[in-house]
Amino acid sequence: MSLKKFSELFGDLDSINSTNNKIEVLRNYFLSNDPIDNSWAIYLLTGKSNKRFISGRYLKNLFSQIYEYPQWLIDTCYLKVGDSAEVITLLLKNKTNSRKKKLSNISLNELLSETIPALSKLNEEEKNLEIKNLWETLPEDNHLIFNKILTGTFRVGVSIGLITKSISKLINIEEEIISHRLMGDFKPSIESYEFLINKNINLQELNSKPFPFLLANTIEDKIFKNSINDFQFEWKYDGIRMQLIKRSGNISLWTRGQELVNESFPELAEKMFHIKDNFVLDGELLVWNFKEQIPFDFSLLQKRINRKSPTRSIQIKYPIIFIAYDLLEINGRDIREIKLENRRIKLEKYFSKWQIKTENNISDIFKICDLIFPKDWPDALTYKEKSRENNTEGLIIKKKSSIYSSGRKKGIWWKYKVDPMQLDAVLIYAKGGSGRRAGLYTDYSFALWKDKELIKFASAYSGLTNIEIKELDKWIRKNTIEKFGPVRSLKPEMVFEISFEKIQISKRHKSGIAVRFPRITKWRKDKKINDADSLENAYELMKKIS
Amino acid sequence: MRTKQEYLIRYEDGNLYCELADIWIDPNKPVKKALITHAHFDHFTFGCEEYISTKETAILLKERVRDNIKIKTFEYGEEFKINGINISFHPSGHILGSSQIRFIFAEEKWLISGDFKLQKDQTCKQYEIVKTDYLISECTFGLPIFKWDESNKIANDISKWITNSPEKTSLLFCYSLGKAQRLLNEISQTSFKGNIYSHGSIHKMNNSYRELGIDIKDTIKIENKKKIDELKGSLILLPPSLSKGSYLKNFKNIQTAFASGWMSIRALRKRSGYDKGFAISDHADWDGILEVVKKSEAKNVFFHHGDSEALSKYLVEKESINVLSFGK
Repeated sequence: MSLKKFSELFGDLDSINSTNNKIEVLRNYFLSNDPIDNSWAIYLLTGKSNKRFISGRYLKNLFSQIYEYPQWLIDTCYLKVGDSAEVITLLLKNKTNSRKKKLSNISLNELLSETIPALSKLNEEEKNLEIKNLWETLPEDNHLIFNKILTGTFRVGVSIGLITKSISKLINIEEEIISHRLMGDFKPSIESYEFLINKNINLQELNSKPFPFLLANTIEDKIFKNSINDFQFEWKYDGIRMQLIKRSGNISLWTRGQELVNESFPELAEKMFHIKDNFVLDGELLVWNFKEQIPFDFSLLQKRINRKSPTRSIQIKYPIIFIAYDLLEINGRDIREIKLENRRIKLEKYFSKWQIKTENNISDIFKICDLIFPKDWPDALTYKEKSRENNTEGLIIKKKSSIYSSGRKKGIWWKYKVDPMQLDAVLIYAKGGSGRRAGLYTDYSFALWKDKELIKFASAYSGLTNIEIKELDKWIRKNTIEKFGPVRSLKPEMVFEISFEKIQISKRHKSGIAVRFPRITKWRKDKKINDADSLENAYELMKKIS
Repeated sequence: MRTKQEYLIRYEDGNLYCELADIWIDPNKPVKKALITHAHFDHFTFGCEEYISTKETAILLKERVRDNIKIKTFEYGEEFKINGINISFHPSGHILGSSQIRFIFAEEKWLISGDFKLQKDQTCKQYEIVKTDYLISECTFGLPIFKWDESNKIANDISKWITNSPEKTSLLFCYSLGKAQRLLNEISQTSFKGNIYSHGSIHKMNNSYRELGIDIKDTIKIENKKKIDELKGSLILLPPSLSKGSYLKNFKNIQTAFASGWMSIRALRKRSGYDKGFAISDHADWDGILEVVKKSEAKNVFFHHGDSEALSKYLVEKESINVLSFGK
C-alpha cells in the first residue's frame, strides 16, 4: 500500500468534523491496508512518538540552500503559515512541478522503518542530498506527511479514544479492551497490529500494560445538591499521575502520558520489589518534603522527570514519594468493577499489611493518600481554600459508589481547584501565532506598573475567544509602535485580567517575579491603563500567599 | 526620482488617481469620473457622476445594482482620450469583463493591472500581456507559498468530495460573480453528473454570463423549502455571506466547503469554519505576478491590494527591478 493512502487519510481526518465520519474513514483505512501500514498509522495518529529527525529550522535552511531561496523570504512565509513542514511543502510545489524524475511509490512502512531511520546514519551532506532526492521523487501529495514526520510535528485531530472506537467497531470488541491493548509502549509491527485486532481476549497478554486512567472533570454546581457523605475527598496533588504495577514480580511505572519511567525512579522500583503481593496502584509521584509532610514544587520534580538513572546524590537531593489513590488489581484480580469505597478498604488493608510485613521500610517512599472529611459543602470549600498551605491545587472529589472506568467520564470524579490568582495588566507586545493561529497576532506579553513605567511580567496566549482574537489582531495591526521581526510593540491601551496558579521571586525576570500558567481570563475594556495593577500589588499577593 | 505629485498616477485618499485627466480608478467614494476595472463590489461605489468600463463590466454592474447609473463603455483595446491622455482597457483574466487599464501620456506608459490572473478560465478573456514603463499591480497573493493547481484538478477534487458523500448535500461557498461561473464551467466537465443548484445571486449572474455569450451550465435556482431528500448528493453554490447565520438551517445533513486561494493554507482552512477548502483563485499566484512584472517590461513597479513587503524586496534583490511606493 502506498504512502498516498495515508496522505489521503490525513487529509480526510483533517477536514472531517464529525466523529462518526472520522471513525468510518479510519475503519475503511484499516480494512483496505496491510497490517504493518495500519500499525504505523496507529502509531502516528495516536502520537505514540513524535521523534524529531531534523528541526523545522534545519528543514527551512536546507530548502533555502538547495533551491537558492532567500532565508528571509521563507521566514516571511512561515509567519503566514505557522508550520515549517507546511511552508516547505507549499514552497516545494513551486520547485518540483516541472521535475522529470520518476516518482517513487513507497509505503508508509518503508518510509518509517527504512527511509527515515536510514537518514540518521548518513553524514550531513549525504543526508541533505537524500532529503532533496526524496522531495523530488515523492509524489507531491505526500510532501506534507513526509516533512511533518521528518520534523516530528505530525499531528491531526484524532484522539486515542477515536482510534479505540474505530478498532472496537472494526472487530466488535469492547472499547475497554482495545483501550487497554493500546496502553503503554506500542511498537509498530505486524504482531502489534494483530494483537490489537485479535478477537480472542487473553488477559495474560496485557500483563505489562497499565489500565486506562480515569480522569476528573471540573466541578459542576449540581454536585452540591448531593449529600456530602456520598463522596470521598482527597487533596489534588500537582505531580505526575502514575500507575505502579507489580505483576509476576515485575515492576512497571507508567505515566498518564503512557511512558514507562522505571529508569527515572529506580529507588521506587527497588523498594516495591520487596512487597510480596502483585498489584496495580493508581497514584501520584511527587518530590516530597518529609519534614513538613507536604510536596515540594513541581519545578523540583522536573529535575527528576527527564533524568534517567539518577545518581544517589540526586535521589537524596530530590526525594520522591508515590502516593497511592486507588487499588485497581490485586494478585491478578481486576477489582476496577467494585465500588470505590470498597477498593479504599482493600487499599488500606493491604497497605498496612505491607508496612508491617515488608522487611525494608517502605513508608519513606510510598504511602496512601490521606482522606479529608468535610462536614458539609461549606466545610469542603474551607478545605479547598487551605490547599495552598500544603502545596496542593485543591480537592479531588470522588463518588464512593463509582467503579473505575476509563477516560474523562462524567459524574464520577471532580477536581475542585483553588481559585486562581489574578492581576490586571497592560498589553505591550504581540507576536504571530503558529499552527492554527498562523497569520494572527495571538501571543501576548503583559506588563504591570512600576512607578511610571510598564514592566513586562507575563506572556499568555490562551483565554480569548476566536472572535476576540480577531478583534484584538485588528487592533494590534493598527496600534503598532515598532516591529522587531515577528514581534510588535504596541501602544499601551488595552487592559486584561491575567490569572495564574503560582507567583514567586525570580531573578531571571526584569520584573523580579515569575508566574505559573498565566492565562487571559477577561478583556477589561472597562479599564484604562492607569487602572492596571502595579508590581507592588504583585508582591503583596505573593506575601499574602506565603 | 520624481516626487509623488509628479507621477501621472498616484494614491489619493487610498484611491488611484490621475490628476491630469481628473479621473479615479475603482474609487471607494463618489467622484466625478471613475474608471471601473471590473464588476466586483469592492471596486465600485455609488454616486459617481460618470463611470467608464468595458461593455461586459457595464452590463454586469447594471444587473447587480439595478440602478440607473451612467456608464460609458469601450471595447478591449479601443483607445479614448481624456485631457490628452490615451486610455485603453485590456483583458486581465480575473472575471468576465475585467480589465487592466493603460494610460499613455507624452510617450510615457502606465499600466494598472486591476485584479488579474494568468490561469486558463473559459468564462473570460485570457490575460493580455501589455508593455509599459510603469506598472501598478495588485499582489493579493504575493508570497511564494501560493502556487495554484490547474483548475480542472480542483474541479475533480470537488467532484470527488461530492460523490464520496452521496447521503449529504454539498454546499460550496464562492463569490457569486466570476468564481461561481468558473466553477460551474469546470465542474460540468468532471464526472459529477448530479443536480447543481445555485443561490439567486449566483443564478442571476449565470444568466448575465449566458446573455454575454458565455456557456454556463444550467443550474436550478435554490428555493428555501426544497425537500431534503431531493437535495441528497447534489451540489449547491452559495455566496460566502450565507455561511454564517440561520440560512444553513434550511438544510439537513450537509457538508460545507469554501473555494478561495486562501484555502491553500491549513491554518486558514481550519479557522474558516468550513469542513473543506478548495484552493482556487481568480487572482494571480506568486509566479503569475512575477511573470506579469517581467513580461510587462516595466522599469518601475508599484504594488497595492495586499502585503507587498516580501514581493518588493524579492524583486529588488533577485530581479533588480525598481519597486516604488506611493508613500500612502
